[in-house]
Amino acid sequence: MTAPTIKVSALGRGTVLDHLLAGSAMRAYRVLGLGSEYTVTVGINLASSRLGHKDIIKIEGHELTEKEAAKIAMLSPDATLSIIRDYKVVRKVPLKLPERVQGILRCPNPACITRSEKTPGSFRVDSAAPVTVTCEYCERTITEEQLDFV
Amino acid sequence: MVEDAHSRRAADSRVRTGDEVTKADFVGRDVITINDFRQSEILFLLDAADQFETAAPPLLSGRVIATLFFEPSTRTRLSFESAVGRLGGVCIGFAEGGVSSQAKGESVADTVRVVEGYSDAILIRHPKEGSARLAAEFAEVPVVNCGDGAHQHPTQTFVDLYTLRRECGRIEELNVVFVGDLRYGRTVHSLVTSLALFDAKLTFVSPEFLRLPREQRDALDAMGVSYREVRKIDDTLAEADVLYVTRVQRERFTDPMEFEKVRDSYRIDGDTLAKARPEVVILHPLPRVDEISPEVDAHPHAAYFRQAHYGVAVRQALLSLLLDCTGEVL
Repeated sequence: MTAPTIKVSALGRGTVLDHLLAGSAMRAYRVLGLGSEYTVTVGINLASSRLGHKDIIKIEGHELTEKEAAKIAMLSPDATLSIIRDYKVVRKVPLKLPERVQGILRCPNPACITRSEKTPGSFRVDSAAPVTVTCEYCERTITEEQLDFV
Repeated sequence: MVEDAHSRRAADSRVRTGDEVTKADFVGRDVITINDFRQSEILFLLDAADQFETAAPPLLSGRVIATLFFEPSTRTRLSFESAVGRLGGVCIGFAEGGVSSQAKGESVADTVRVVEGYSDAILIRHPKEGSARLAAEFAEVPVVNCGDGAHQHPTQTFVDLYTLRRECGRIEELNVVFVGDLRYGRTVHSLVTSLALFDAKLTFVSPEFLRLPREQRDALDAMGVSYREVRKIDDTLAEADVLYVTRVQRERFTDPMEFEKVRDSYRIDGDTLAKARPEVVILHPLPRVDEISPEVDAHPHAAYFRQAHYGVAVRQALLSLLLDCTGEVL
């Protein structure tokens, strides 16, 4: 008797986020803030030869933008992103944590000027896994748990 | 132990070796955090300030300096205004946000974009952290941070370092004890990392709630600087060269109960000084409330009022350098 499996249909067009840090997929999904029009499949704690365990997200009908990819890289710097068109992988890249991120995070410091002025937050990335960043305005260090995505 | 300018420069000569600084390094520059300045640049500025203690020609004649003070200030604003006035320049601006268009909802960015058209430099104090950095992004003229919330106050640090050199004869290898509100005290935040450049021995005395923020402690760790954090000031007095005392700032507390718990944590008085070395120098960025007893004012090394006065020469030097108006003085 073969073990029961769950079938996940192949993507016609969309994005696969693979090698997400185990346990990070639900936060990553929330951070993306995708509308209800997209079909999203989330796999949590799947076996991985590279990582031991990993999460995976498949998004039907949406190709991640650079900003969205940067958000995922902040949560899971070792993830890979695949863009699917006509059921074929047209681009597969490892996500890369940028040295500086702009316009994707809000500074959690209530006394920071960026909270009251209409200016996009700008942060220097100090370290990965777990990520820490520094607000380039108030210079507060922000840990991964404090990341507040726009 | 006041020494002449030549001796002071000689005492600091070791650190400047091989790191040449010229006036051009300052021209048109923003002054946002003390960490933007190399040690050699700080010393260059302090040397320049020496010259301005004895000379005040009209170097800023025809120049207009904008003072945008969205928060109260006595020493910083008035010493800048004095510096500009003595050098023949003119100050425009406001001393509280309520009389500016901020009261109508104008952003800092828009205010700065307007005022840069009226002035040759902008001096800004604002309660929000990072406000000076933001202002500098929107202004072509130099922007000087005169205090942005609990973040930084770099010109106070220049004044503090200048005071140390005047009062102690050197900056290097001093045993400096910081006392009071180290959490919200922006003058402390600006000063600690620059003192670390000068191999100072640093001790922090505060209640747990007001201890030095993690960012500053991390910065010291990254610089390889060892420091002590203690709760009782008595443990530090025997070895201190300098006591840097700060006020517990009621305006930074969101919870009045927390303020009441810590407001009277430390008080420097005659009994305190009796346990300290006779030559200990006492600094305070002012204003003080109850943290230094008036009886201490008579102590020969109670330097806080002189510290406030040195601010004029230091700010004259800074503005002249930023605006490339040093004439024959430098």
